[in-house]
Amino acid sequence: MRTYALAIAFFAAAGLAPLVVDDAFLLDTLVLILVWGCAAGAWNIAGGYAGQISLGHSAFFGLGAYAAALCGVRWNISPWYGVAIGAAVATAAGTVIGFLANRLRGPYFVIATIAVSQVLLLGAARWRGFTAGSEGIPVPFRAGFWALGIADKRIWVWIVLVLALVVYLSQLYLERSRRGFQLAAVREDEDAALSLGVRARRLKVAAIAASAAFTAVCGALWAQYVGFVDPLYVFSVDLSVRFSLAAIIGGLGTALGPFLGAVLVTTVETWLRAEFGGLGSHLVGLYLILYGIALIVMVRYAPQGLMGLIYKR
Amino acid sequence: MRGVTKRFGGITANRGITFDVAAGELVGIIGPNGAGKSTLFECISGFYAPDEGEVELEGARLTGLSPDLVCRRGIARTFQKLRPFQGMTVAENVMVGALTRTRDVRHARDQAHEWLRRVGLSEKANAYARTLSTGQRKRLELARALATGPRLLLLDEVTGGVDQRSIPALVELVRELHAGGLTLLVIEHNMRVVTAVAQRIIALHLGEVIADGAPAAVARSPRVVEAYLGQAYVA
Amino acid sequence: MRVVNFAHGEFLMLGMYAAFWAFTLLHADPYLTLVVAVPLFLAVGWGSYALIMRPIVHTSHNVQVFTTVGLSIVLQNLALVLWTGDARFVRTSYYASVINLGGAVLNLAQVVAFVLAVALTAALFAFMRFSYTGKLMRATAQDRSAAMLMGIDTGRIYALTWAVGITCVGAAGVLLAPIYPVYPTVGLQFVLIAYIAVVLGGLGDMAGALIAALIIAAVEVIGSYTIGTSWKEVLYLLLFIAILVVRPSGLFGQRGSETLGV
Repeated sequence: MRTYALAIAFFAAAGLAPLVVDDAFLLDTLVLILVWGCAAGAWNIAGGYAGQISLGHSAFFGLGAYAAALCGVRWNISPWYGVAIGAAVATAAGTVIGFLANRLRGPYFVIATIAVSQVLLLGAARWRGFTAGSEGIPVPFRAGFWALGIADKRIWVWIVLVLALVVYLSQLYLERSRRGFQLAAVREDEDAALSLGVRARRLKVAAIAASAAFTAVCGALWAQYVGFVDPLYVFSVDLSVRFSLAAIIGGLGTALGPFLGAVLVTTVETWLRAEFGGLGSHLVGLYLILYGIALIVMVRYAPQGLMGLIYKR
Repeated sequence: MRGVTKRFGGITANRGITFDVAAGELVGIIGPNGAGKSTLFECISGFYAPDEGEVELEGARLTGLSPDLVCRRGIARTFQKLRPFQGMTVAENVMVGALTRTRDVRHARDQAHEWLRRVGLSEKANAYARTLSTGQRKRLELARALATGPRLLLLDEVTGGVDQRSIPALVELVRELHAGGLTLLVIEHNMRVVTAVAQRIIALHLGEVIADGAPAAVARSPRVVEAYLGQAYVA
Repeated sequence: MRVVNFAHGEFLMLGMYAAFWAFTLLHADPYLTLVVAVPLFLAVGWGSYALIMRPIVHTSHNVQVFTTVGLSIVLQNLALVLWTGDARFVRTSYYASVINLGGAVLNLAQVVAFVLAVALTAALFAFMRFSYTGKLMRATAQDRSAAMLMGIDTGRIYALTWAVGITCVGAAGVLLAPIYPVYPTVGLQFVLIAYIAVVLGGLGDMAGALIAALIIAAVEVIGSYTIGTSWKEVLYLLLFIAILVVRPSGLFGQRGSETLGV
């Protein structure tokens, strides 16, 4: 029970916060923490549990975001369909990337994932007819749960919290299930795993596809929340790096790690933005310098991230 | 195996290797370094696809199948350069093998503990694999491969790097497994071990089979002597 | 060296900024800056190796990937904080000059950049092929343990390899400054092409990379001519993905080198 105390505390606090907190800014931060936590957790499924490091996950996020936005703008249907469509398309894309994962190892796979996300970025930015091009799509606000037009931030917290729990529990599942053990074996030593009868290739593809689907759902919800989809942001390499950053700082390959990482990353960012945003947005880059340094240091000296520091494995 | 040939660039690692192994046999494979023994195992276990020739298991074609498929068909192997899953515990390592045969995690865990008991690693069950000594790692590798429930086990230098005192226990273990009905192909450099356990020995040299028969006969074969010790020693 | 440097583009960016500041503050022509840039970036390369790369040269791929990614983030944002995100331009007097080569009208700066770049590449190639140090570098690349056994100080070779790489890309940045706008994130688009060229040409094959770069340029130009300029980048990115699917070892690389995980 003790090992889960922190997780229980985290989710309980997130769930109860809307009942006691009124401040819109704080609630907004909480929603973002949960969204980035989910995205980081989704990334973690591929990167942490399957060992397939990708810096192109923004491709899936963007697919989800666009799916939701286009549902509202072009097809006039509920963005919940967007969530489903985004997840479906992302799963297909994830399968393709999984195929690449079986042909490339290490950094070359990373480069391939970046290339894929950039193709989507350029496609979305140039395809005026379909996606309104590089101006992005403002997501129309239609009130009501079905249209995901929710003004009350507290409800948003709970919506995203449900997703967060699903992502968290999915990761836990990977720690205890048969597939999870096999996946861990593939991550440790693919050839040895193969010699033991583990279907390594298939597992890798499945992990990446699942990771893609979750990421897309995050993107779709985020698009509805924020109200605007900008292709240059939503498919950016920066965003992909951000998912991995939160997961690594929090604890690669742990279920709660991505969420802890998201807490740290998001709070520092929103605080700095509030403080320095007015002065000159370029100063906001300061915190990213810190993160870059933190990444370099942590990945070498504290590879287990915050979870490792807390739980001294 | 029939006419198995494997080339790497200009080197023919295996050349026309042909032999049959009957169920329940314990066959030793010997040969000087570079004879192509490990390559043979790679061809059987699916890590390499032979350029020519066929590998069959009880009539079913194995040639060119992927390693995980080969394992599921009933052939397991150990590696000469040990490859434990470092970040997992000893028990978890064996579980990965067990999970190929059973879907239930708890059952796999029980089986893992059982195999650990048989190889004598029970007290290390919850230690991380990276903390094990070489001899212990050899036994872990063995337990892990056995957990997949193979009919044929390929042992690659199972006594390599193990200190002298531990060898008899390992040999005894191999004998027990054989007595239990397991078919074994054993690559070994240690001639004492091989002659002690093997009913039959196949000698490889420069990629070809140069002898195939009872241990005593093979040891005396002039080609084998020449391969190991050079021309001058052929009596 | 078997390390992919995800901060590669950022050193290019630094080269471009170096040219910009030299031009703005000292009125130095970029091609003059080039001469200074070479030793400067050698030093930067050496320094960054000692500070950041040396501790991780023997660690896992993931650690290396994220270390260079972290470096990329630091450099990008350092530039952002110091010099803001505004695009800068190196407007030399010959900015708009063109030269006429048999009917084709070419931008002077681009031609000069091309010539110098090819010259530098040829020099590098010759260095790797014919000089003693070059042989040391290639030997270490092929088999690190054997190289150590031969008495080669692999640590220093790696430092040199890294520094040479940084110098090349820094010099490239200086050459590009008169042609392209300079801003903190300018590295990405170029580095992506660089990766594509290397993979297409075959990992570890310099001549291959050069040929591949020319192929990519051809594709880009033909693409922009037939399909329209807005889609040309998509074209070579898709080409890249297609290559990865069909022949990941590149045109001239060894089969299977991409699955060795570098």
